[in-house]
Amino acid sequence: MKKAAIAAIAALGLTVALDAAAQAKPEDLVKQRKAAFTLTAKYFGPIGAMVQGKAPYDAAIVTRNAGFLETLSKMPWDGFQASTADVKETRAKPEIYKEGDKFKASADKMQAEIVKLAAAAKSGDQNAVKAAFGAVGQSCKACHDAYRRD
Amino acid sequence: MSQSKHAIKIWDVPVRLFHWTLLALFAFLFWSGKTGGNAMVWHMYAGYAVLALVIFRVLWGFAGSTHARFASFLAGPRRMFDFARALLSRSPAHSVGHNPLGGWMVVVLLGSLALQASTGLFANDDIATEGPLTALISKELSDRLTTIHRWNFDFLLICAGLHVLAVLFHVFVKKENLVAAMFTGVKKFDGEVVGSKGSAVRFANSWLALGLFVLALVAVYLIVKRPF
Ligand code: HEC
Ligand code: HEM
Repeated sequence: MKKAAIAAIAALGLTVALDAAAQAKPEDLVKQRKAAFTLTAKYFGPIGAMVQGKAPYDAAIVTRNAGFLETLSKMPWDGFQASTADVKETRAKPEIYKEGDKFKASADKMQAEIVKLAAAAKSGDQNAVKAAFGAVGQSCKACHDAYRRD
Repeated sequence: MSQSKHAIKIWDVPVRLFHWTLLALFAFLFWSGKTGGNAMVWHMYAGYAVLALVIFRVLWGFAGSTHARFASFLAGPRRMFDFARALLSRSPAHSVGHNPLGGWMVVVLLGSLALQASTGLFANDDIATEGPLTALISKELSDRLTTIHRWNFDFLLICAGLHVLAVLFHVFVKKENLVAAMFTGVKKFDGEVVGSKGSAVRFANSWLALGLFVLALVAVYLIVKRPF
């Protein structure tokens, strides 16, 4: 009885939480997903400067940034709700909500490349970091070219 | 094509080198720009090279050999009109250098290549690449110039497509060996020739071309590195 009550309350709580997510203001979702992308670029860029020889290589920063990126790369996606299609301040193409599978595949690809980047950073092999950096950059670009307008 | 009445050397070595180097760089810029990642480092270097080539070609348009000069191939309304009439009447007139339409196409191509390279200097990809001058302007302006960089490239592709179609037309319909001429410099004619008759072709010194190209490279270096 008690167990059932707890389960019911938990289920109710979960429903409320899910509802809250679904009812988040579209403008906020857009703002939040952009914020996630902004931070992604913030921690990604310096790795590029280091592997391309524009800044001295600092293994500690590369490892730290790659770790941040692993978490950040999971964040933008729940912000892409169909409700945001009409928001003005967005460059996301409406196709995202029609081709959900393809968009998700593109997001998965980027996350997989970031996992490899983090592994390379831990190994300390600069050439591996450089190759992994390039692959991540290509995965960002592929999605932007397909799902982000000018 | 069998019995060529004249074979005239029209393109100097600098023009031919310019043409094929530009083609190779353009193909590489196309690929690297669309791919991103580590290729962007080389995209930027290749872009600088194109900028230097375009600056050189403009200088050569004033100081080069006869058929490299703007004055020789930029036709006024009168020649454009005659040319259009000849086209419509399908009379097989041959131009020695660029025909009037081709001459103006050179200007369009050089102009949009210059626009492409100079917007690239201020571009950003929101990932990890930005041009050497992007930091000097606002993010909004850089985004707008990046958009021009993308759209103008599509325009360049269309122009390049028209350019190739026109050449194919000359090779297969008018039976002129334009492609070979851009390798060897020599164009063969077996019909009536309009424009300069070839006797007046003057070739400029290739060392002058090298000097002008080095000058262009220095100019690009100064723009990119801004040592002052
Ligand atoms: C699966 C698709 C996808 C992938 C992968 C992706 N992005 Fe994006 N990104 C987008 C979309 C869509 C937008 C536009 C968001 C908006 O305007 O609502 C965007 C916007 C951005 C922005 C601009 C944010 C703003 O404030 O307008 C940056 C910066 C960015 N992405 C960086 C990156 C980086 C760096 C990577 C790779 C590490 C990456 N993105 C990978 C889809 C993607
Ligand atoms: C005339 C020479 C150039 C050509 C033909 C060229 C071509 C291209 C192409 C085809 C793209 C891909 C656009 C797309 O994704 O649709 C691109 C992107 C880009 N180019 Fe160039 N480019 C040139 C010069 C330059 C220069 C000189 C720079 C900077 C130094 C530069 C910087 C960039 C950047 C940063 C991008 C990424 C933009 C994005 O992904 O949104 N380019 N270029």
